Amino acid sequence: MTAFVASLRYEFRMQVRKRTVWIVPALTLVLFVLIGGSLLRDLFDPAERPVDPRTAVVGLAVQLNALLSIGFGCLLADRLIRDDRLRVASILDATPASPRARLLGKYVGVAAATAIPVSVAYFGFAAAYAVDTGEPRALGWALAAFGALFIPGLLFVAAFALAAPLVMPAPLFRVLFVGYWLWGNVVSPDMMPTLARTLVHPLGGYPLAAFFDFHGIDGQDTWAGPIPGATLNALRPDPTPALAWLSIVLLLIIAAAVLAGGHALRTRRIR
Amino acid sequence: MRIEISGLTKTYRGGVAAIDDLDLAVPTGMFGLLGANGAGKTTLMRILAGIVRPTSGRVTVGEHDLGTGAGRTAVQRDLGYLPQDLGVYPDLTARQFLDYVALLKGMDDRTVRRRRVGELLEVVALTEHADRRLRGFSGGMRQRVGIAQALLADPQLLIVDEPTAGLDPEERIRFRTLLSQFAGRRTVLLSTHIVDDIGQTCQEVAVLAKGRLIFRGTVEELTRRAEGQVWSVVTDGPAPTEGTVVSALPHDDGMRYRIVAPSAPRPGARLLEPGLEDGYLAVAAGRGNASRHPAAPPGRRP
Amino acid sequence: MRRAGWAAFLGPPLALALGITAALANPQPTDLTTARILLGALEMAIPLAAAVACSSLVGRDPARELQLASPTPYRVTLLRRMIVTLGWTAAVAVPAAVVLIATGWWARWPENHGAFAGQLTWLAPTVGLSSLAFAAGAVFRSPGAAGALVTSVWAIQQFFAGSAQANRPGRLLYLFATTRGTTPGDWTANRLTLLGAGAALIVVALVLLGRSERLIGEEDE
Repeated sequence: MTAFVASLRYEFRMQVRKRTVWIVPALTLVLFVLIGGSLLRDLFDPAERPVDPRTAVVGLAVQLNALLSIGFGCLLADRLIRDDRLRVASILDATPASPRARLLGKYVGVAAATAIPVSVAYFGFAAAYAVDTGEPRALGWALAAFGALFIPGLLFVAAFALAAPLVMPAPLFRVLFVGYWLWGNVVSPDMMPTLARTLVHPLGGYPLAAFFDFHGIDGQDTWAGPIPGATLNALRPDPTPALAWLSIVLLLIIAAAVLAGGHALRTRRIR
Repeated sequence: MRIEISGLTKTYRGGVAAIDDLDLAVPTGMFGLLGANGAGKTTLMRILAGIVRPTSGRVTVGEHDLGTGAGRTAVQRDLGYLPQDLGVYPDLTARQFLDYVALLKGMDDRTVRRRRVGELLEVVALTEHADRRLRGFSGGMRQRVGIAQALLADPQLLIVDEPTAGLDPEERIRFRTLLSQFAGRRTVLLSTHIVDDIGQTCQEVAVLAKGRLIFRGTVEELTRRAEGQVWSVVTDGPAPTEGTVVSALPHDDGMRYRIVAPSAPRPGARLLEPGLEDGYLAVAAGRGNASRHPAAPPGRRP
Repeated sequence: MRRAGWAAFLGPPLALALGITAALANPQPTDLTTARILLGALEMAIPLAAAVACSSLVGRDPARELQLASPTPYRVTLLRRMIVTLGWTAAVAVPAAVVLIATGWWARWPENHGAFAGQLTWLAPTVGLSSLAFAAGAVFRSPGAAGALVTSVWAIQQFFAGSAQANRPGRLLYLFATTRGTTPGDWTANRLTLLGAGAALIVVALVLLGRSERLIGEEDE
């Protein structure tokens, strides 16, 4: 437990102090505001914003999750290999601390630190929206959306971002990751086989549909369930709350499996 | 804490044998480890630190068997380790880095941990830099942080690999003294290329070559291995090619060479008293007077 | 190429292969959608791979101090590595474009702009995004941060294609004007703007990289 807490505390501290952990999401948000048409601006435009505060903050969650998770994954992509690069690993490996506990602490610590700017951005905009519209309920929905959408998705991304650079150069991971993010989240299932809208959908299609009754900002989209003629429809049952929980659990199980694989690989290499 | 190594072999992927059927006993106190680059010293130290697993053979430290997970963890609780390629987190201060390592070493009590970190920062003369980030530390200062982290848990076994690299002469002497004082009833395994460091601190020493033990004995015995083999040659011509040139100094009549060779490398060569470095070179070159001072079998003093 | 890294070598062909796989995996293919995905591999995947490789050129060079002490300015060395990376990208993209032209897939996409000028389909976004990556690398001295920034820019333009082209500056800087549409008549201006912006960003990067003391310290780890 001490090793987990120590690793979490210090990995968090080191990551949260990195200027780039703050600069990258900030620049992304600036670009996102500049292009116009995003909810970051529309939330404060009575003519453009959704009428329902739930739709507004959940829609904001979808947009920010889709966008900021990319920088989140890229910024985490060197954290596990960093100990070897900095030549600190041998000191840490010679301590009696369990390597598993250290890895878990590092995972939670760096993921939490890198998620801080994401959460600041999300809750900041949600709070501003709540004040602007006089809708305090929006903050409640924002909390629920953060728990059901951001946290599982970011933990899923973080596990791959930590483990994948053990088997490929970090830049190559970044290319494949952003390609995957587009393919696995946004590409329409009738265009090519994709994990979008399945139970393994890091943007949280099932929680969006079943927990938040979210059908896009305009109320026209569906985010989970089968598409006629699409492949992989077996992974797209009609959404229910139970399936939404299952979807979250599946993301966490995959994340745990990826981390365990990364741990096994690193252990095998150093020995 | 006595270390017993028998039949130890470590073969890396690709078939490279870093340690080859090594038998060695390391008693309590300071013990030196010498060998050329690639001799297997670092691999041996990593095995003893529980980082690398042996391919075969048995290693016990005190009563703990390093072949078992419980044994490794037990050894690591009593271990201080300073690796050759020491790294630090540049974004932590010296105090934070030591605190982190102390926590990983199981020093849970905050008050005790803070006091110990403060003491060691004092010992390595870094108190006034304790709250500066390691990013701005010189190589020598980082090495001192490394030394401090190795001593954190008051270890019974201290493994130090090239500990004086990067230290200035004063720091080097201070650290050697610190190690000697620290040893007492503990075991300190010192690996270095700086033969003088061994001579100043260790009573016993082992020499490795290509993963095998080629000498184990006292420092005096290693020195005597070069008896009758150390020569002084003064020449204004080319350097002698026979033997190993230990030093070359400008001289009124050309250059004065100190050479370790089994016979006089030039007519007129003058025989010199051997030093520890000469003994090491003689052994490393396979020319040591082995018949008089055989490598000790495991567990027995020569 | 060796110093530019494995990602620079593997990235462009891998990205192209994934694009072609995506075209082949289309469950309800039409000539139009298949042609769009194939040209999209050139316009989207290739620039992304090249840019992420370029984002890693500055920082973590173990021989950085030796480079800074050599008679060849380090920024020239870095620029050469970028040129090698883009050259390799071109060596992958041009044959792929030739194959698409020869097999007729190029012509099946209505906005193909011909065989010669049409090469700007991949060249302009590759130069634009890679130069942004190079400049971001020079500013942050962190491949992770520079990579994160260019992938985020790429993703914004993918996810919010409509919003990204809502105004003229946005349209001129839009990376995927060939396969995700732009206002008729804007295409040539868009491609030239991307090339011009790329050149300007390279100049900015070279100015920053000329201050060698910035490069000596450890990067933001």
